[in-house]
Amino acid sequence: MLPTGIYFETYAAEARVLKTVRSRVLLAVLVVGLLTVPLVSGAYVLGVAAQGFIALIAVLGLHVTVGMAGQINIAQSAFVGVGAFVTAKLSGYGLPFFLVIPLAALMTGLVSVLFALPAARVKGFYLALTTLAAQVLFPIVILGLPTEWLGGIVGMPVEPLVVGGVVISSPRAFYYFTLAFVLIATCAAFNLHRSGFGRALKAVRDNDVAAQVMGIDVLRIKISAFFVGSLFAGVAGACTAWFLQFVTIESFTLFASVWYLGMLIVGGAQSPIGAILGVLFITVFQEGLHEIGTEIMRSNAHEAGGAIFGATNVALGASILLVLIFEPRGLAHRWSVLATTFRLWPFPHR
Amino acid sequence: MIKLLQIIIDGSLVGLVYGLVAISFVVIYRASKIVNLAQGEVLVIGALLLWTFTLGATKFGVHIPFPAGIVLTLLGCVAFGLILERLVFRPLIGQPPFAIFMASIALLVLLRGLAQLIWTAETRPFPQLLPSGAFDIGPFLVSTRLLIGGVFTLVLATALHFFFTRSRHGLRLAAVAEDHNTALSLGVSVRSAIAVAWILGTIVATCGAVVLLSGRVVSLDVAGIGFKALPVALLGGLESVRGAPLAGALIGIGEALAMAYLDPFTNGVASNVLPFVVMIGVLLIRPQGLFGWRRIERL
Repeated sequence: MLPTGIYFETYAAEARVLKTVRSRVLLAVLVVGLLTVPLVSGAYVLGVAAQGFIALIAVLGLHVTVGMAGQINIAQSAFVGVGAFVTAKLSGYGLPFFLVIPLAALMTGLVSVLFALPAARVKGFYLALTTLAAQVLFPIVILGLPTEWLGGIVGMPVEPLVVGGVVISSPRAFYYFTLAFVLIATCAAFNLHRSGFGRALKAVRDNDVAAQVMGIDVLRIKISAFFVGSLFAGVAGACTAWFLQFVTIESFTLFASVWYLGMLIVGGAQSPIGAILGVLFITVFQEGLHEIGTEIMRSNAHEAGGAIFGATNVALGASILLVLIFEPRGLAHRWSVLATTFRLWPFPHR
Repeated sequence: MIKLLQIIIDGSLVGLVYGLVAISFVVIYRASKIVNLAQGEVLVIGALLLWTFTLGATKFGVHIPFPAGIVLTLLGCVAFGLILERLVFRPLIGQPPFAIFMASIALLVLLRGLAQLIWTAETRPFPQLLPSGAFDIGPFLVSTRLLIGGVFTLVLATALHFFFTRSRHGLRLAAVAEDHNTALSLGVSVRSAIAVAWILGTIVATCGAVVLLSGRVVSLDVAGIGFKALPVALLGGLESVRGAPLAGALIGIGEALAMAYLDPFTNGVASNVLPFVVMIGVLLIRPQGLFGWRRIERL
């Protein structure tokens, strides 16, 4: 919501993501702020931030599949896992990162298309079940394949990431590496909303019969929604592989998928801002619980480990339920209300 | 030949346990139009409640007579169902199916975390409610526990089937499964339907836990049975209580055959993959399952 007096003379100006000078300045400040964080903070914060960035890439992908196209996907973590295993395998052959990342994204996209094909016959909740099948089948298949291929139950080491002859291993270097991809992914997600493809996704979400009447190939759009969402997952998987330097099926469980979905729902599924706010909120919340948990663990080391895991799960489940019941549009809606109030101040009414 | 028949007998008995857990899915869906992905967690909570009122109480020095322990467990299941209805699903009546589905996913992590906070992740012995051991019928060996469980599953499925199709109350629940708004406009209480659904679902899941775990151990990982029973519920049809045991037996036999004849060549993958391949097959070929209501669009 823009205050009176701001108007546009061309459609291009109206359709911009950043409509006003002030929003462009604020974004520039944010980016510069993100670039300077490593100069002032320690390795721990940078590690958490890099993990948050990776989660954000995956959740932005989920935002395309779930938020824009309305197709529930409970296998995002398995898709991230596919990207990670492809990365581990390909970087083992000595391919450079600028080839590995697109190939990992593409492979992940193709795997997701395999599980989106039932969209030809079923929709909604039933389609969600095929993604559940993807999530459950992922570890079984990895364990069943010969150990030389993908490491089986042990997992696979990942060759270190080399960018332009420099090995990226310090938390600071890795922070910048993931930040670059987060910026690309965020940019892509925002621009998707004003593309023809993005509008087709939203038309299918709102009413797929009406979308078909308007000439949208609903099946193709549904399948491409999974494909595009999984491209993001593949990039997140590649970053995860290099971040952990070792991939096992333990990192890509159903619970991780539920975490991604939870971040998206808490933030608000309908806009990329929601994905960003959700990841931020859940990551900060989780880190806070971990801090408290480690404090308790110092005094009463015995049972605390399981209790922390339990408490974080209860907190996540409860926050998803609270958002679903009290604010289905998520934090993004609260954010836009806040931003509008700020813009219109001191006039309380629009 | 005898080996093959033995495999089929074992498979169908194990499959009937899946069927019993699948009935708990079906009961909830049939009475409230909610597919509860967290059913495995509900089963674990039921099992842990039963442990608390039997072995757990004894461990803490409180002796509760066995029948009283069972009654307390049932009361616990009723309370659990009522709490879920009041706190989670009542506020969501009238919300899009997407929100209700997401709520069941949220319950998945919430209940897992809750179980871990209250009971911790340790593995505990489960009370012996059904006789252990096995007996011979001709050349075949049959597990007593699974046989009793299988008979119980069939009796329960028939009883619930008559409840849902013959009794006035059950027919009201069917209206809720058809459409919340229509049911409300006809004066059927969706709130009480959801409460009944969750109470029944929790009790059936606890029965499933008894058959599955009697005399064995209970841990949080038992929840995995929920994802084995989901393909069964789907194959039988989400609205069909009687379809669940049959679908369970089919999938159990298929799994046992795959375990015996395919697993040696596939590194143990075949039997684990089978239920989910069946599930995707069902979705592609006959989305309503064997005996479900013919209605493809559900969300």
